[in-house]
Amino acid sequence: MLTSLRRSIRPEQIRELILVLLIVALVLFFGTQIEGYYSSRTFIRISTSIAILAVVAVGETLVFLTRNYDISVGSIVGLTAFFVGTQLNHYQGIPPIAALLMAVGLGAIMGAFNGVLVAYGRVPAIIVTLGTMAMYRAMLVEYPGIKIVQMHLLPGWAQEFSRVNIIQVGDFELRLIVGIALAVVIIFQLVLTYLPYGRRLYAIGSNPEAARIAGFPYQRIVFIAFVLSGTLAGLAGFMFMGRFGNLTVGAALGMEMQAIAAVVVGGTSTMGGVGSAFGTFLGAALIGLLDQSLLRWPIISEFWRDAILGLLILLAVASDRAIVDRLRTLWARSELQLRPSMATVRQEESVHGS
Amino acid sequence: MVHSTTSLPQRFLGWLKSWEGLLLGLLIVILIINSALVPAYLTISNQVNLFILFIEKSIVALMIAFIIINGEIDLSMASLMGLSAGTMARLFELGVPSGLAVLAALCVGLICGAFNGFWVAVVGLPSLVVTLAGLIAYRGLVWVLVEDRSISVLPAWLNDLGQKPLIGPFPFALILFFTFAIIGYIILQYSGFGRLVYVIGINRDVARYSGVNVRRVKMILFTASGFVASIAGLLYAARLGAMRSSTAEGFELDIITMVLLGGVSIFGGSGTLRGVFLSILIILNVRNGMGLAYMSANLQAGVIGLLLILSVLVPNLVSGLRARMARRYGMVRPLEVAESR
Amino acid sequence: MPTPVLELRHVSKRFDMTQALDDVSLTLYPGEIHALVGENGAGKSTLIKVATGVYQPDHGEIWVNGRRVHIRNSQEAQALGIAAIYQEPMVFPDLSVAENIFISHRDRGPFVNWRKMYEDAEAILAKLGVNLDVRLPARGLSLAAQQTVEIAKAISLNVCTLIMDEPTSSLSAHEVTQLFRLVSTLRDQGVAILFIGHRLEEVLSIADRVSVLRDGKLISSRPRGEVTIEQVIRDMVGRRIEDFFAKSAVQRGELLLSVRGLSKENVFSDISFDVYRGEVLGFAGLVGSRRTDVGLALFGVEPADAGQIIFEGKEIRIRSPQQALQMGIAYITEDRLRYGLSMPLSIAANITLPTLANYLGALGLIRSAAEYADAEEFRQRLSIRAPSVQVEVAKLSGGNQQKVVLSKWLNTKPKLLILDEPTRGIDVRTKAEVHHMISELAAQGLGIILISSDLPEIMAMSDRILVMREGRQMGLFTREEATQEKVMAAAMGQEYKVPETQLC
Repeated sequence: MLTSLRRSIRPEQIRELILVLLIVALVLFFGTQIEGYYSSRTFIRISTSIAILAVVAVGETLVFLTRNYDISVGSIVGLTAFFVGTQLNHYQGIPPIAALLMAVGLGAIMGAFNGVLVAYGRVPAIIVTLGTMAMYRAMLVEYPGIKIVQMHLLPGWAQEFSRVNIIQVGDFELRLIVGIALAVVIIFQLVLTYLPYGRRLYAIGSNPEAARIAGFPYQRIVFIAFVLSGTLAGLAGFMFMGRFGNLTVGAALGMEMQAIAAVVVGGTSTMGGVGSAFGTFLGAALIGLLDQSLLRWPIISEFWRDAILGLLILLAVASDRAIVDRLRTLWARSELQLRPSMATVRQEESVHGS
Repeated sequence: MVHSTTSLPQRFLGWLKSWEGLLLGLLIVILIINSALVPAYLTISNQVNLFILFIEKSIVALMIAFIIINGEIDLSMASLMGLSAGTMARLFELGVPSGLAVLAALCVGLICGAFNGFWVAVVGLPSLVVTLAGLIAYRGLVWVLVEDRSISVLPAWLNDLGQKPLIGPFPFALILFFTFAIIGYIILQYSGFGRLVYVIGINRDVARYSGVNVRRVKMILFTASGFVASIAGLLYAARLGAMRSSTAEGFELDIITMVLLGGVSIFGGSGTLRGVFLSILIILNVRNGMGLAYMSANLQAGVIGLLLILSVLVPNLVSGLRARMARRYGMVRPLEVAESR
Repeated sequence: MPTPVLELRHVSKRFDMTQALDDVSLTLYPGEIHALVGENGAGKSTLIKVATGVYQPDHGEIWVNGRRVHIRNSQEAQALGIAAIYQEPMVFPDLSVAENIFISHRDRGPFVNWRKMYEDAEAILAKLGVNLDVRLPARGLSLAAQQTVEIAKAISLNVCTLIMDEPTSSLSAHEVTQLFRLVSTLRDQGVAILFIGHRLEEVLSIADRVSVLRDGKLISSRPRGEVTIEQVIRDMVGRRIEDFFAKSAVQRGELLLSVRGLSKENVFSDISFDVYRGEVLGFAGLVGSRRTDVGLALFGVEPADAGQIIFEGKEIRIRSPQQALQMGIAYITEDRLRYGLSMPLSIAANITLPTLANYLGALGLIRSAAEYADAEEFRQRLSIRAPSVQVEVAKLSGGNQQKVVLSKWLNTKPKLLILDEPTRGIDVRTKAEVHHMISELAAQGLGIILISSDLPEIMAMSDRILVMREGRQMGLFTREEATQEKVMAAAMGQEYKVPETQLC
């Protein structure tokens, strides 16, 4: 029975289970600490902030799977949010779909730029996205027009965007933003599980050499991963604009670090080949939950947020299987040094006449 | 590193065509443009003032050059700069004597550097992952220490050190930079340790099979990196006269660009401090030029980001082009070159 | 006769110094297991690479199913139904077994049907008579299981020609039996199999036809019924006409190194031998014999788990290359490019690398004059052909590069010198120089372990020969006792019986 259990449960699923338990534990804990925690209001606040992070993090997961990194997503989110917001400030007549397409399209272009440089220019992803992080932020700042997006100048639907519900049962409200995020998670979980493209992402990250020999269109696959990452960041930008309304040039600053934290905590390996959209969602949920709850908890100052983020990342990376393996070999090797050779043991035996 | 057997004028011409020659040309062009915009641009006092604006980044860049040549990377140094400044400032605020506070800050740098080094050198994790985590974690610690305030009461002697000239018109930081630059250059080009740094970066296995203690070298480099970052952080805070949680945030962009633009290959094993020095001057003057043109800080960062990408992209494209030409037109076989004597 | 699945007609391939394949014609028929044997360097791997499109032949033709083809890359080979499985299988550790099998398929539809994939995978494995859990990630699989996955992958792509390169060298006896059953099943299904191996009894037990390669030439190709082991060995080894520099007999000095029961789990076991000053101990063996691993253990790169090492009378544990160097042990690697030389560096810099500490002056700066002088000395002594010692090593020919490697290690003033394939890929003139040098070094009192796959070289240069096979010690011959056939037989696990008719 145990073997069949072992067969059907993968280590990644154990990790996901732990995350769910952690989240539940945290919710219960904060419920005792913070007044009015179990209210509809709190749920809405937390879930909407998780939603935006989750969308970005899913895109980041795709990149991570191929053993690359994308730290420009924060800037992409900011730029798309700001761009679309500014357009809407000027031309209130733009229909929502067009605005959405603008955001997503812009994100895709920025992702494509990253992708070309990494996949075809053979520039390491960290360098490319370190550069584009700054470049995209610069474009945001220099975008001609007013330097802020103002809520009250947005068209009605945009102002109401963050308040639209898809489910309303009594006091419980599920915002559209959250619904979009859930849809993204589900879609990409399906992509990663059921589409050959998704499986090739895992293959490339798992063994790039073998992937090349097997004849995969390596460059195209990586390029598309970056395009998707940018596209999702664009979508998140749209949601960001809807949620906050008033935007400055500092929009979404630092979001890439949160996204990476969500990805890593959610079980995606930093060496590629392992990860899932669902796991990332749990990671985003955990981080978003911690973040928003700490804000409301007077005992620990909110400034611990980044330190805790860092700590979570360290813990998550340290529990990465590849790393545990390496530590284990190291430990074994140091243990070996303590073992006497068989010859000397025999000698000792003969001396002491055992 | 590798001395050719050609004559001196030939070597100079060869050098001109190299990456460093390109940098020198670029620098001259930028200086010309800038001095056209501002009449007193090329005076010593002006140049010194401009240099000082980026001196801390430049000091760290010298150290990071070592690390990248060695085939690793360190993304956490900007956060360490903030952390050491924060440690010093907070302790001093709490009444700890300034000397001890500074010492503590330096120790923090050493310890964090060694911590990075442990995971990279001993456990064998990729330095990118370790220092990326460090970037986030150390910055987080700064927020814990300093929260959202600004600490503007720093030891007077430290402020003086950071702000006032020490010898002639040159403040301490500038002197330190040139000292580091010269010592660093000598170490890299002429010392045993420097050669090991290169060899490991060229091919880690060859180094190991040749009896080189790779672990020790990497450990030393990362510990030193932490230490240098902490010094730079203290100097930066001293120069500003204050520090906050976001101190030195985002510095890694300029620092890594300074190193990569200087001809140090991101893949390890090549590059010199000469090139890094030239690229520091370029970035300095480019940033100044942009400032003169009233470009915002964000826009300037964007330009630097573009420079960063180009400094890796261009060599890649060129070598790719060269390979394609070689395949098409046939290569000169190395055998014939050597056997001709 | 059915149409041959794969035919190589008069194929030749040359690399710089070596004629890797010389007018080789080989025919593979469907439903036939064709074994290819030969020493290391005989040309087997080159042949495989030509068949799989990695190399293009200089001369000759390739015919597939009765049509002439040009195979330009591995995808084209795959399209022609040619697949190869190597000693080190290339699996995706994080993907499941089933996925590994089907990962290169393009025609399984727009969506991944997991249930069907698991079923199909299980079906293929069942066809092969193998029992593996297709859901588990490939990461935990043993080497044998990974190879099975590779074979399953090949079958799933409807392979017509399956090339297996030394697939059994890391397998246990039981796993080998399973593998052979698999291979037989494939053969019965009409696949043509080119099987490269060196365990003669195994090879003969499964092959329908046996071909022997030697020095790039096809020496013989006989159906199983007409083959005996002795014949094969003789074909592999041949009679050399070249005059090899024979090591001059030197008075054997004191005991330098004594190894007893040296073992490393899953690599080699129970290796025992002595090395005396002034003597050359040759290590003979075929691919997978793990001689290099013994060398690496003695040099501290991959230390042994158990066993005793007594060096100059003191028992020691060698844990790192630095330690080995300090004690006077030097190891010259077989793979110059990857482990031996720092290519962008100058000759002088390479020579002084292991002993850099000796060239440092005050403040840790390198004393270039001393470095230059020592490097010059070696340039003269070993006749390294280069304009100066400041030249980049990358610009030298293979032979001269090897001389730089030698200089580098001689500079450490070793007492024990371990040479791993020192003359591989080198021109004849330099080879002779290297042999001369080895003889001289022995005369100067060094103990030398010579690992080589070149039988005549070992025969000429060694005072004694230790034969290894798959991590085990098969025999220790003195110079007088050894003949090429005996050594080769031991390397293959046979005892060589001199045919009665042979009188010379």
